[in-house]
Amino acid sequence: GDLGPFNPGLPVEVPVWLAINLKQRQKCRLIPPEWMDVGKLEEIRDQERKEETFTPMPSPYYMELTKLLLNYASDNIPRADEIRTLVKDTWDTRMAKLRLSADSFVRQQEAHAKLDNLTLMEINTTGTFLTQALDDMYKLRTNLQPGESSHSQDF
Amino acid sequence: MAEAYFPVGPGLGMEENFLSLDDILMSQEKLPGRAESALPRLAVLMGQGAGSAESIPEGSKLEIPLWLAKGLHDSKRRIISVELPKIYREAWRTVFSADANVVDLHKMGPYYYGFGSQLLNFENPENPEIAQTDSVCSLQTFIARFRRIMDSSQNAYNEDTSALVARLDELERALFQVGQKGLNDFQCWEKGQASQITASSLVQNYGKRKLAEVDG
Repeated sequence: GDLGPFNPGLPVEVPVWLAINLKQRQKCRLIPPEWMDVGKLEEIRDQERKEETFTPMPSPYYMELTKLLLNYASDNIPRADEIRTLVKDTWDTRMAKLRLSADSFVRQQEAHAKLDNLTLMEINTTGTFLTQALDDMYKLRTNLQPGESSHSQDF
Repeated sequence: MAEAYFPVGPGLGMEENFLSLDDILMSQEKLPGRAESALPRLAVLMGQGAGSAESIPEGSKLEIPLWLAKGLHDSKRRIISVELPKIYREAWRTVFSADANVVDLHKMGPYYYGFGSQLLNFENPENPEIAQTDSVCSLQTFIARFRRIMDSSQNAYNEDTSALVARLDELERALFQVGQKGLNDFQCWEKGQASQITASSLVQNYGKRKLAEVDG
């Protein structure tokens, strides 16, 4: 897409990679996204703790954005440390929830699940583990079927 | 270099993977059996009988590796019959269903799941229940132990994990490693280590080898 025009003192939307780069060259000041705010994040965290399922996150890359912005532009973000803690809390809550639901998923031997509000970062951190475990489980379960069919031929 | 190396994984089913090293090791495990007919000139293998001409008498007890048992086994029981190993029998199955987490599968395995799946090949007409519940049992065992593996592999960061994996079966260990890798990669990224560029281990080794050549 087209970017700009760039005028001093006026807000303009650019991709994160460019924003970080310009920031490192000290050519700009980053404006934190609307949701990166202590009050809003507290609300999100409490909501996350209350709900059984995953709640929608303010951004599909909330973890990545927080990390990049806090690492490279923490001077532009008010109360950066509190934000870091809040996002980390939310992440921990969601990961614990993910483990809990993975466990009950495995226990009930389900074959499919719907995880709408999980972000890519969360999926990727446990994804390989989960798919491999389910793969093993599937093989152990389907071991039975060829045994059964050859058995019926015996009789 | 781990990304460019694709080892053949274990088959974990009725058929093992031909080129899987894990499966080859697994099929070396011994299986209790009984000779259903005399096997001529093989007594030497059992350590009894001096001459090579002596045969294994019919009905003698044998401990045979899985691969040999598979080859000799026939549903009409002409050559050998195979018994279930202790850990797949009723008594142990009860222990497993009581609490699968307390069992040391490494000592009893280390290929508990793979071996158990292979045992279905010896399904005798008289005891289909055993073979069937056996598979169901390994599945239940796996399910019961899943939570522990997941939690320990994803919570233990930068800790000594040898105590955690000591009791895991080989299949579970592979799973544990995958879980750890996910966690470690994430933590590395969070600390900003992922963005540091390091020399490939291949290049480092190459440099060392060159130096050694120069020295020699």
